[in-house]
Amino acid sequence: MARRPPFPSPAALRSRRDRRTERLLANRAVLDALTSVAGLVGRPVRITGGAEVGRLVDLVARWDGEPYPPITGLMVKVGRRLAFVPSEQMADLGRTEVTLRSATFSLRDFERRPGEVLLNGDVLDHQLVDVDGVRVVRASDLYLARVADGWRLVGVDVGFPSLLRRLGPRRWRARPTPERVIDWAAIQPFGVDPGPLRLQGENQTLARLRPGELADLLEELGRPERTELLERLGPDSAADALEEMEADELRTLLRDLPRQRAAELIGAMEPDEAADALRDLDPDELDEVLTAMKPTVAMKLRPLLAYPESSAGGLMTTRLLLAHRRDRVRAVRERLPAATDERGDLDGVVVVDDGGRLLDDLRLVDLLLAGDDDVLEELVESSEPVTVHSDAPLDEVVDRLIDSRRTSVIVTDDDHHPIGRILADDVIDALVPARGRHRVHVRFP
Amino acid sequence: MNRPFPRMAPRRRAVWLFAALGPGVIAANAGNDAGGIATYASAGSQFVYRMLFLMVLVTVALVVVQEMSARLGAYTGEGLVSLIREQFSLRTATVAVVCLVVANLGLVVSEFAGIGAAFEIFGVSRYIAVPLAAVGIWAVVVLGSYRYAERVFLLLSVAFLAYPISLFLGHPDWGQVATNTLWPHFLASHDFIVLAVALVGTTITPYMQLYQAAAVVDRGIGPDDYPRERLDSVGGAIFANLISMCIIIATAAAIGGTGALTSADQAARALEPVAGASAAMLFAVGLLGASALAAAVVPLSTAYALAEAVGAERSVSRHFREAKLFLGLFTGQVVLGAAVALIPGNLINLLLNTQILNGLITPVILVFILILANRRTVLGDAVNSPRFRAVATISVIGVSVLATVVVAQTVGGWLGMA
Repeated sequence: MARRPPFPSPAALRSRRDRRTERLLANRAVLDALTSVAGLVGRPVRITGGAEVGRLVDLVARWDGEPYPPITGLMVKVGRRLAFVPSEQMADLGRTEVTLRSATFSLRDFERRPGEVLLNGDVLDHQLVDVDGVRVVRASDLYLARVADGWRLVGVDVGFPSLLRRLGPRRWRARPTPERVIDWAAIQPFGVDPGPLRLQGENQTLARLRPGELADLLEELGRPERTELLERLGPDSAADALEEMEADELRTLLRDLPRQRAAELIGAMEPDEAADALRDLDPDELDEVLTAMKPTVAMKLRPLLAYPESSAGGLMTTRLLLAHRRDRVRAVRERLPAATDERGDLDGVVVVDDGGRLLDDLRLVDLLLAGDDDVLEELVESSEPVTVHSDAPLDEVVDRLIDSRRTSVIVTDDDHHPIGRILADDVIDALVPARGRHRVHVRFP
Repeated sequence: MNRPFPRMAPRRRAVWLFAALGPGVIAANAGNDAGGIATYASAGSQFVYRMLFLMVLVTVALVVVQEMSARLGAYTGEGLVSLIREQFSLRTATVAVVCLVVANLGLVVSEFAGIGAAFEIFGVSRYIAVPLAAVGIWAVVVLGSYRYAERVFLLLSVAFLAYPISLFLGHPDWGQVATNTLWPHFLASHDFIVLAVALVGTTITPYMQLYQAAAVVDRGIGPDDYPRERLDSVGGAIFANLISMCIIIATAAAIGGTGALTSADQAARALEPVAGASAAMLFAVGLLGASALAAAVVPLSTAYALAEAVGAERSVSRHFREAKLFLGLFTGQVVLGAAVALIPGNLINLLLNTQILNGLITPVILVFILILANRRTVLGDAVNSPRFRAVATISVIGVSVLATVVVAQTVGGWLGMA
C-alpha cells in the first residue's frame, strides 16, 4: 500500500464538516446572501429598467480547480430560442429574477467549453461525492453567493426540507432552507469534460480518503461517475481502492476503463490482489490487459494466474525479502529501507541456502536483536519454518497459521523454494469475504 | 438481521434454491404472489380459458419491460428511482415515487390478505393470524434473522410448483386451451375488462422493474455481462408467465365456469389432481410462503426506493435500524397493510381489488421506463432500437388503454351512467 499521512477518523471529518457549515450559516449575512439555484430556474431575466427578455433555463459554472466554481454564464430562453448570456453581462442575480446590464445584449448559442457544467441539468439532483462525510450525496439544491469578482457556487443542500420546498408553490421555492448544507469545497462533482486542461497530478481532496472509503464510494456511484472519480486519483491510491472492492464490482469497473488504464491500475495493485482481479476477466480480456501492461509486471503476474484462487498459490503475495544464509545482518538491514514500499507484506526475512531452498523465515524482531556482524545462518532456528505447498487448500493454510501462531506462512514449490507469503489478513479476507469492510450495500433481497 | 437488504452474491449462496437463477427470474416470479394466485385463479374460474390470449400479450409486454429495466441498470449502474430523479423534473419524479409507494402498499395489503386466507384454510381466524403475522414479520426483519426466515418462506412457496403437474393430471380440454391461447376470445363485459386490468396489474408490478434494475446494479452486472443478463430477464419473464398460465388452466379445468371465486378453498380445488383431499392444505402452505416472503420484502423495497429518491440509500442500507424515517415507513406499511387486510369482507375480492389498483398504476411507471430507455443520453448505444421502441410503445399503450377503460367505467358507474 502506498504511504499516506495518518488519517483523521471519519467522526473527526464529520465534525469538521459540521463546524464548517455552522460557521458558514451562523453568519446571518451569509444566509441572506445565498441564492437557491432550484428557486431561480424558470424565473424572468430582465434588462435594467424592467423589460423581461426571457426565462432562466440554466446556469453555467466552470470547474477550474478552485474550491468555489465561478458562474460563467446563463442559459436563457428568449422566445423559442435558447441563448447563452455570459456572466459579464449580468448586473444582478436576485432570488427571483436576473437582471442584465444593458438593453443591448448579444445572444450567442451555448457551446460547452472545457470544465463547464450546467448546474440545473448536470448537477442538481445528480450524484456528488462529499469528501469530508465520505459518502455519495444527491443535490437537493445548490446555493450561490456573490463574492468580490462575481457569483460563485458555495454550497450544496442535501436536506429533505429542500426537496419539499421545491415541490411546494412557486414563492417557497426561492427561499433557501439550508438545513444540511455541505460546503462546496468538500464536494467532488461529476459530468465535467476536462478537455485539454486535464488537471495534472492527483486530486488532493480525494487523496485524504482511505482506500476502503474510496472503494465504498466507487461501488455506490453510477458508471460514468466512477470512471471519472478514478481518473482523479493517482495510480497508487486508485490501485489501493480497487483492492478493497468487491470482485463483481471490480470486474465491471475494469471493463469500463480503457485497456491501457486498466493495465496500469492492475499493475499497481498488490500482486495477489492483481491476480485475483485478472482471474475474473474473460480469457481474451485477460490477454489484452496483460499485453498492455509493463512487461516486467506482466511477467510477475502470469505465474500467479496458474494457481487456483482458493489455493495457497492463489492467496499469496510474491513480494519476499530473500537473503542468503551467509549474509550478514548488517547487509540485510541495509536492504530494508528499499523495501518500505512493501512493508505491509514484509513480515520477515526469508533465508535460503545455496540452492535457493528455504532455510528459515526470520522474524524482524530477531533481526533487530541480532548483532550487526552476525551471520544469518547463526540466527536460523532449529525448528522448521512455517510453510505450505502452493497447491495447499485454504483450510491447510488456516491450520498452519493456528498451529504456529505466526502472522504469516511461507509458500513453497515442489523443491522447497520459497515463492511467496500468505499474510493472516489475506486469510481473513478469504474466510469472511463479505465482512471485508463490514459493508452492506444492498438494495433488495 | 444485520443487513436490511440481504445481498445475493451469486457465488456464495449458490446453494440457495433461487440464487442459482438470475435476478430476472426472481423479479418476474415475484408476480406469482398472493395477488397473482388469486387473480389467475379467478380468471380460470370466471372466464375459463378466455384470458389465455391476453396472457400471451402480457408476456410480450413483461419481457419488453423487464429487459428495459435490466438494461437501464446494467448500462447506468443506477437504480430506476435515481434515474427518474436525474432525468425528469423533481415534480415528475415525485409522481413516479408516489405511484410506486401506493402500488407497493397495495401489494402489502394483498400479501397480508394472502396470509389471512392461508390461515383460514388451516382453520385459524384471520383476526388472530394477520396481526400475529404482522408482528412476526416486523420482528424478523427489524430484530431477527431475516435471511433464515426468507429461506423458510421460499421453501413453503415451492408448493406452487404443484400447479404445472396438476395441469396435466387435471385433463383440461387441450383443443380449447390451444385456440384460446392463439386467438382472442374476449368478452366486452365490464367484469372481463376489470379482471384483465387486474391480470396486467399483477403480472407487471412496478416492484418487479425496481427489483430487476436494482439487482442488476447490485451484482455489478455491466454492459459486458449484459447479453447473459438479457437472457435471464427475458427467460425469467417467460417462465413466470408460463407458471401463471398453468394456474389459469389448472383452475379452469377444475372449477372453470362456476363464476367469481368466493374463497381460497375454491381456488385450492385446482390442486386436487395432485394432492387429492390435501389440496387445500398444499395450497395454503404455498400461499403462506409466497405471501409472507413478499410481505417482508415489499415494504423494505418501498423504504429503499424512497431513500433512493431522497438520496439517502447508503444510510438506509447500512443503518436501517437507526434510519428512523425509513424504519417508520417500513413499520407503517406493515401496520397499514395488516389493518386493511382485517377489514371484514371477502379476502379474494380484496386481493383482486389491490391488483386492479396496481393495474391502474403500472402504465405510469411503464411510461417512465420507456422514456428512459429511449434516451440516448442515458443509454448511449444501448438505447432502444426503432423496432424495439415500436413494440414497447404498443405494449405501454395497450396497457394504458385497458387501465383508462376501467377508470372511465368506474367513474361512469359513480355518475350512474353505466
